[in-house]
Amino acid sequence: MKELLLQAIDKGGIYMATVTNWVDHLTASEVAGQIYPYVGTELWWVIAGIIYWLWWTFATATGEDEEHQKLARKKHGANEYKNNIPEW
Amino acid sequence: MDNELTALRTLFTEFYYWMTVVLMFLIHVGFCMYEVGASRYKHHQHTLMKNTLLIPLVTITWFFFGWWIYWAFPNGPYIHGGGLILESEAFIGVAGFGANELANPTNALMAVNLNDHIMGVFWAAFLLFSWTAASIVSGAVIERITTFAFGILAIAIGSVFWSIDAAWGWHFNGWMVKLLGYHDAYASGVIHAVCGGFALGVLAVLGPRIGKFSSSGEPRNIGPRNPWLVCVGLFLIFTGFWGFYAACNIPIFDLGPEYGMEGVTYWTATNIYITPTTLGGITMNFLMSLSGGFLAGYWVSKGDPFWTYSGGLAGIIAASAGNDLYHPMQSLIIAGIGTYCAYKLHYIVERRFKIDDAVGAVAVHGYAGVVGLVICGFVLWGYPSSGYDGYAAINPIGMIIGAVIMFGVLGFLPGWILAKILHGAGKLRIPRDVELAGLDYNIMEQARKDERAVASSNR
Repeated sequence: MKELLLQAIDKGGIYMATVTNWVDHLTASEVAGQIYPYVGTELWWVIAGIIYWLWWTFATATGEDEEHQKLARKKHGANEYKNNIPEW
Repeated sequence: MDNELTALRTLFTEFYYWMTVVLMFLIHVGFCMYEVGASRYKHHQHTLMKNTLLIPLVTITWFFFGWWIYWAFPNGPYIHGGGLILESEAFIGVAGFGANELANPTNALMAVNLNDHIMGVFWAAFLLFSWTAASIVSGAVIERITTFAFGILAIAIGSVFWSIDAAWGWHFNGWMVKLLGYHDAYASGVIHAVCGGFALGVLAVLGPRIGKFSSSGEPRNIGPRNPWLVCVGLFLIFTGFWGFYAACNIPIFDLGPEYGMEGVTYWTATNIYITPTTLGGITMNFLMSLSGGFLAGYWVSKGDPFWTYSGGLAGIIAASAGNDLYHPMQSLIIAGIGTYCAYKLHYIVERRFKIDDAVGAVAVHGYAGVVGLVICGFVLWGYPSSGYDGYAAINPIGMIIGAVIMFGVLGFLPGWILAKILHGAGKLRIPRDVELAGLDYNIMEQARKDERAVASSNR
C-alpha cells in the first residue's frame, strides 16, 4: 500500500515537501533556510489568511447584531437576569 | 552556527525570548480575570469573550502588517532618515534591517527558517506587547461596547498605533530617539500612555454605563463585583510584567564592535536602544516601583483594595521609562508620585468630563505613563539616549513632547476618531435594552432552562 502510494506520488510529481532528505539538505554547501511546504507560495497563503480574517469579521458582526436586536425586543428589566441564576 | 559559542549564544537568546513570551501570557490571563472581577454578573461571559477574541485578531493582523509597521516607520516618515520607510541597512552588524527584509509576512524569515532562530521569538514577544495594548483598552469599555467595535479598536491599537509609536520611540533607529532624546526603556509611553490615551478617546465617544452618573452628574461607584478575582488578576499581571521587562532587553550583546570601539569586547545585557543595563538592576527597580505604587495607592485611596492593587501597577508603569538606569530609591519615589497623580486625575476627569473608565485603565496606564515620561526627562537629563553618534541626549523638553505624542497624537486622537466613525455607523455601543438586561441574558436564560430540565429528570 505504502509503495503504491509513493509510486503514485512519484508519477504525479506532486511532492509537497521542500526537504526530502535531511542529510543532503544539511550537508549542502549552503543550507536553504525555509523548510516549510510550498516555498515560494507565501503570498497566496497570506492572501488566503486575509480573506478568512475579513470574512470572519463580517460574519460575526452580523451575528452579533441579530443577537442584540432579538434580546433588545424582549425588553427585560435590569434585575431580571437574577431569575436565571442556576442553582450551584 | 559554526562553533559552540555562537550556537550557545544564539540558542540561549532564542530560549530567553521564548520564556518571556510564556511569562507574558500571564498578563493576558490576569487581564481576563481582572475584567471579569470588575464587571457585573450579567455581563461576565461577554466581557471575557471580548478580551479573549483580541488574541486571534491582534495575532493575525500583527502577522499581516503590525510587525512590518514597526520595522517600516522609524523615519517618521520623512521626519528623519529621508524616506517614507526605513530602507535596509547594516546598522547593527547584520545586513537587512528594513521592514521588507525582515517583517514582510511573505518574507523568508517569517516562518520556520534554519538560518534564523530569533525572528520568530522576537515577533512573538512584540505580539504579546500588542495583546497587552489592546487589553488595556478592553477593561475601560466593558459592559457597553459591541464585540465588533472592540475588535476593530483592538486591531487599531494593537497592530497599528502602538506599532507606529514603537517604531518612532522604541527602536534603536527611531526618529524620536535621535531628535528628541526620547527614552522609554520599559514602555511607560510606548505602550501604557498611548493605550491610556486611546482608551480615553474611545470613552469620550462611547459614554458611561447606564446609571454611572446621577441626573445631577454625580458619579456613582460601580465597584468591582469580585475583589478577589481582581486581586489575583493583578498579581498575574505583575508576574507577566516580569516577563515583559525581560523581553524589553537583549540578554547578551557585545557592545565593543557595535559602538566602534576597536579591539574592545564588552558583553552585557542591553535595553531596546542597545544601551547597557543589567537584569539584576532592573529587577531591583521593578520591585521597588511595585512597592512604591502599593504604598502610595494604599495611602491615597485610604486603603481601598482596588486602588492599592492598581497602584502597584501604576507605580511600575510610572518608573518604567527609566528603570534601566534609576537607583532603586528613585524608582520607589517616582512610582509613588505616578500613582498619586493617576488616582487624583482619575477622579478629576471622571467628575469634570463624565468619563466612565470602568477599571481605571486611563489613569493607571495613561496618566501614570505620562507622569513617568516627564519625570524621566528630568531625572535622566543629560544621559545619552543611544551609544551611536548623532543622537540627542535625554532631556525634559524631548520627553514632554514625547509624552504628548504618545498620549495625544497616537493615543487619544486615533481612538476618538475611530470611535466616532463606529458610532456614526451605529456599531459602537450595544442597544440600551441589551445593556440593561445584560449581555449574557440569553446564555443565562438557556442555562436556567437546562438546569430545570436536568433537575426534573427522573432518570
